[in-house]
Amino acid sequence: MNGLSVEKVAKSFGGLRAVAGVSLSIAPGELVGLVGPNGSGKTTLLSLVSGHESPGEGRVLLDGEPLAGLSPDRIARRGLLRMFQLTRVFRRMSALDNLLTAGRALGLPPRGALARAHILLEELSLTRVRDLDGGQLSGGQQKLLEFGCCFMRPPRVALLDEPFAAVHPTLKEIMAGSIRARHREGQAFLIVSHDMPVIAELCPRTVCMNAGAVIADGPTRAVLSDPVVIEAYLGGEGA
Amino acid sequence: MALARSARPSGELWPPLVFLGVLAALPLLVGDAYWLGILIVSMYFALLAVGWNLLAGYTGQFSMAPAAFAMIGAYATGLLARDLHTAPWIGIPAAVAAAGLVGMALGRVVMRLSGPYLALTTLSFAEILRLVIGNSYEYTRGDLGLGVPGLFEGRLPYYYLFLGALLAVQLGVFLLLRSRAGLFLRAIRDDEVAAASRGVDVVFWKTAAFTLSTAISGLAGALYGHFSQLVSPELGLISQTGLVISMVVIGGMGSLLGPLAGAFLVYLGSEVLREVGGIQLIVFALLVILFARFFREGLIGLARRALARRGA
Amino acid sequence: MLNLDLFINGLLIGLFYALMAVGLTLIFGILKIVNFAHGEFYMLGAYAYTLAAQKLGVSPLLALPLAIAAGALIGWITERLLMRPLYSGYSSWGLMRDEYAVVVTFAFSLLLVNLVDKVIGPYPSRGPPLLNLPKLILGPVILPGPKLIAGGVGLVVIGGLALFLRSSLWGKQIQAVAQNRLGATLAGIDTARASSLVFTVSGALAALSGALLAPIINASPDVGAFPAIKSYVIVVLGGMGSMPGSIVASLALGVLESFGAVYISYDYRDTFGLVILVLVLLLRPHGLFGEKGRVV
Repeated sequence: MNGLSVEKVAKSFGGLRAVAGVSLSIAPGELVGLVGPNGSGKTTLLSLVSGHESPGEGRVLLDGEPLAGLSPDRIARRGLLRMFQLTRVFRRMSALDNLLTAGRALGLPPRGALARAHILLEELSLTRVRDLDGGQLSGGQQKLLEFGCCFMRPPRVALLDEPFAAVHPTLKEIMAGSIRARHREGQAFLIVSHDMPVIAELCPRTVCMNAGAVIADGPTRAVLSDPVVIEAYLGGEGA
Repeated sequence: MALARSARPSGELWPPLVFLGVLAALPLLVGDAYWLGILIVSMYFALLAVGWNLLAGYTGQFSMAPAAFAMIGAYATGLLARDLHTAPWIGIPAAVAAAGLVGMALGRVVMRLSGPYLALTTLSFAEILRLVIGNSYEYTRGDLGLGVPGLFEGRLPYYYLFLGALLAVQLGVFLLLRSRAGLFLRAIRDDEVAAASRGVDVVFWKTAAFTLSTAISGLAGALYGHFSQLVSPELGLISQTGLVISMVVIGGMGSLLGPLAGAFLVYLGSEVLREVGGIQLIVFALLVILFARFFREGLIGLARRALARRGA
Repeated sequence: MLNLDLFINGLLIGLFYALMAVGLTLIFGILKIVNFAHGEFYMLGAYAYTLAAQKLGVSPLLALPLAIAAGALIGWITERLLMRPLYSGYSSWGLMRDEYAVVVTFAFSLLLVNLVDKVIGPYPSRGPPLLNLPKLILGPVILPGPKLIAGGVGLVVIGGLALFLRSSLWGKQIQAVAQNRLGATLAGIDTARASSLVFTVSGALAALSGALLAPIINASPDVGAFPAIKSYVIVVLGGMGSMPGSIVASLALGVLESFGAVYISYDYRDTFGLVILVLVLLLRPHGLFGEKGRVV
């Protein structure tokens, strides 16, 4: 069974149940949005999938293989790559080196990695700043760079955590365009975002979480107009 | 694009090569055994500095134990020679392996630590080791020192032996940094979590850097042992590590030439200052503070900037 | 009973250790760094006391406050000159502030040791006792005079410090900064001044410890090495920044060393703490993930 499969996953921190029995699956090539008020457990769910947290209950499967106990780097090499909410780039390495690191870590040969890096730089309009250190880039450029690092070798599923947050509209467009293009090529995505218009425009399917549980999962338009979802955002149990 | 290409992080190989080349030719000018000895000890420190720079400057792990691993190397080859009568050409690689193995174990174990925790743990390890060796006088002769067989008559052969080792290590480090390892180590230094998320096997590479660094220290110690023919726990004193750190900070962390130049500058400088009145450590400590406070890239970094400004 | 004597003496030494280490704990609490020059503050206190009493002919009771003042001064200087880059924003070390602190305080420690060695000389000298207190004998327990003074002063000072931190305005500010630096700034607290105060106090306390021990040990330039290591052990054992924790850890260390010197090995008595330190650092879930909270 291909794709990402999350089965009855739960995680508690101290007394707080951050994720409570979540099940969802993403088939190969699906572009899925993940929404929900603050504190609903979206980022924790992403961490449980990417290996940064381990589930208290339940399991995560990638193409039928359980990911239990694997470290984040091994999960990444298996094809599950993730962007962080607080952008992380290698600040004292050039943008090009940032991409090369990701590419070589994922197994690309030197020349292949270099070629691919140049393609990505071009696609993300970062060629101009190719030799600048990661720490010298603007916030939006850093986000684009981190985004690019996820695609040095097309992952089986790309997990994006708030990729559009605090990003200049132009750069937002570049990223959205890139997501669309890759989706057409068959890339699967799970995108966490608060930016409803972009989710509505990009993702055919959306999952909504609240207080650690999934409260809606279906075609985006239906989910976003679901009264339960609206209630959650307007001040139900969530934020 | 008008943006100046910053110096390649792996550094150019030619500055160190030129430097080593000058060193190779130096005995033609300096025949005096005393100064040859000074230069040899400088090369000992240069080896330690290069190894420490790999760990701290490139991977971000500030270990306080380089001198302790040199001590391991020196004692390993000395004890092997005394008890098993091993020839030096077996003893020295064995010492390197010993230091590397202990380093691998320590590195694996301090993996999760950073900053002050790492410093404290490695410092404690170094001190414990030094105290144990010092106190085990039935076996190691403690503070009296352990005799180690010499290799050659005269200092010149030692000079070229050390130079050869330095050249080999420098080349090895250069090739390593130019490969994907260089990217991974620097990524780990900048952001370990991000590195793991991109697929870098952090555990493996951190351990590898640690092991390599300690192996280099072990090599330095073993060679020094055969040169001075007497090793004592003083090799592993924290102040020795302090010297190494000073050399790298002043020379410039994160560059190839930095540790080399720093080692020679500091050690030769200390010889000169010794004449003036024994204030060398004071001066160097001050310099380290100044450089750490204001010029993190060290002398080499300053030189690079000066050259870049001249419109290179 | 030998054990009771060992235990009480251990506690006494532990009180003294607490005095020695609490400053380091405060510094870690506020700045999240380890001051590698801490042992040298101690050393300077010992020297200040000894020199004031011997060379200046000052009475020991006056030499003590002089030593404290010297320590306070050096602590203040350290913070002012070296520590600013940690939080003033300017630093060519950028993200590697921990490593900067390690290198800079380590170098400072080397500087101080060699400066003293050069200026005053490496020959060890013993300071005059503070008070001529004979040893106190309580049943089976023998408490030597100087140790009693050291422990007693330790108790009083620690008590005073705890009171200060809990009740005074400055003390509360320090606690606030230790818990959340950014938040404290937003609340209007002058964090630089808090850091300065903490370093000054730390220097003063370390110098006081050095002065108290000067009559017992010979003051030499590297006399600060072992107290420093023991202080590190205490800070880590006590939970890195927790004052109650370090007090408990100090007492524990004192007792452990006391018993260990007799039952395990006298030669290695100084290494017990080191071994414990290594074990604690390795087994406690510290480092990158545990200490800095949730990763993502």
